[in-house]
Amino acid sequence: MSGPRDITFTLNGRPAAATVKPGETLVDVLTNQFDLTGARESCAQGLCGCCTVLVDGDAVSGCLYMAWFADGAEINTIEGLADGNTLHPIQEAFLEAGAFQCGFCTPGFILMTKKLLEAHPDPDDDVIRHFLVGNLCRCAAYPEIVAAVKLAARRLRDAG
Amino acid sequence: MKNFDLEEPESLAEALALLDEDDSAVRPIGGGTALMLMMKAQFFEPTRLVSLRKVGGALGGIDLSEDGSSLRVGAGTTFTQLQQSPLVQKHLPVIGRVMKTLANVRVRNVATVGGNLAHGDPHLDLPPVWMALDAAVDVVGPSGERRLAVADLFQGYYETSLADGEVITALYAPLVEDRRAAYAKVTTRASHDWPALGVAVSLVPDGDVIADIRIVLGAALDMPTRLTAAENVLRGQPAGDDLLATAGETAAEEVDIESDHRGSAGYKNHLLKIYLGRVVRELMGR
Ligand SMILES: Cc1cc2nc3c(=O)[nH]c(=O)nc-3n(C[C@H](O)[C@H](O)[C@H](O)COP(=O)(O)OP(=O)(O)OC[C@H]3O[C@@H](n4cnc5c(N)ncnc54)[C@H](O)[C@@H]3O)c2cc1C
Ligand code: FES
Ligand code: FES
Repeated sequence: MSGPRDITFTLNGRPAAATVKPGETLVDVLTNQFDLTGARESCAQGLCGCCTVLVDGDAVSGCLYMAWFADGAEINTIEGLADGNTLHPIQEAFLEAGAFQCGFCTPGFILMTKKLLEAHPDPDDDVIRHFLVGNLCRCAAYPEIVAAVKLAARRLRDAG
Repeated sequence: MKNFDLEEPESLAEALALLDEDDSAVRPIGGGTALMLMMKAQFFEPTRLVSLRKVGGALGGIDLSEDGSSLRVGAGTTFTQLQQSPLVQKHLPVIGRVMKTLANVRVRNVATVGGNLAHGDPHLDLPPVWMALDAAVDVVGPSGERRLAVADLFQGYYETSLADGEVITALYAPLVEDRRAAYAKVTTRASHDWPALGVAVSLVPDGDVIADIRIVLGAALDMPTRLTAAENVLRGQPAGDDLLATAGETAAEEVDIESDHRGSAGYKNHLLKIYLGRVVRELMGR
């Protein structure tokens, strides 16, 4: 048995199933079979973070993550972050701080910021830059991104 | 990508049985961060991958030996687990410092200690550090179990002494009283580039004297390489500026660094002299 295989997983809180070819990456499966384009491949080698996906709560590069490994896992993408029409406070903060131009890198930055703030609720610049070192923004919105992270941190702390 | 099979055994015995083939297209996979890149580039076309992720116990855990003389790190340990382990933080603080400039959160969440060693890429940061710490690995395969020094794992550019069908199960780092260790890496363009050079040093100070020392050069040669002549210059001596300069010269002479797109041989020899001095000074608190 060495062809495609069926996997099941939880996708943004709902049960999901896919038929996955050998070596297919998680980002390809999400894009091609679920029309989820928030995680998108850019560098294709783990460096830029545009393909960030949460697997069992941990951030991974979807471009290097074998989709077969997602069998049985809980997968979360940017599409599952908002609560219906209400944006997540991190998404609001990115909008308010103008933390993007083209927006291509934004889903990755936002998911990484979620993990960053879970680990460091009140991060300083160094912590932010270090945690996000593997996320690249071609439009170089870095100052605004750092500001957005701080704004989101404050909001989330205030909300308790 | 060509068709291949993925097996996800839940025990080491099962994994070994699935790997026991005279076929280099049958390989173990840890986190897959290195393998996926090679597969996407079609450098490597597997017929079967044996995932070690579900093997559990035999490849997992981080434990102190009963007499406290060494730390065992399961080969399936991810870099994030390594970084967050209180035992590693306490006994091998150098590892936490190396992690600060190693890849990024997402890669560290997935990449494993065993995959990092077995990959045999000379540019990786941890292998020279493990060598400077005099670490060893347990390897299990068709011809039984053996323990070998991490230094003996590397044979050349992406070449290791692992035979087909062999799996690294654990790493052992001896814990030496008063030993300090540090690693410096130099990238020449962006910080996430592969380094032009890495220098890992562990030493035991006795007042101003360097009682014992290990120096390992990474990235600049086809495999991480111990610099024993430079060690001999420094061992048993006070770490004065003149001696450090001599050690730097000796280090540059004992290896044959070649030019590549990360820098000329002359430049990298210069870096070696400077960074060896810096790391030793830092460790001696001067
Ligand atoms: C974007 C990016 C940035 C990176 N930056 C850095 C950096 O700054 N510094 C650095 O040092 N590294 C860096 N790396 C490399 C990273 O450290 C390696 O890719 C990783 O350590 C490999 O581990 P893995 O578990 O993913 O290996 P895998 O890809 O699963 O396997 C690698 C090799 O090891 C074999 N293997 C795996 N496990 C075992 C085992 N237990 N026994 C025997 N063989 C085994 C496989 O068959 C394969 O040949 C980076 C990687 C990426 C993608
Ligand atoms: S596309 Fe995956 S990290 Fe850049
Ligand atoms: S906003 Fe364009 S890449 Fe970041």
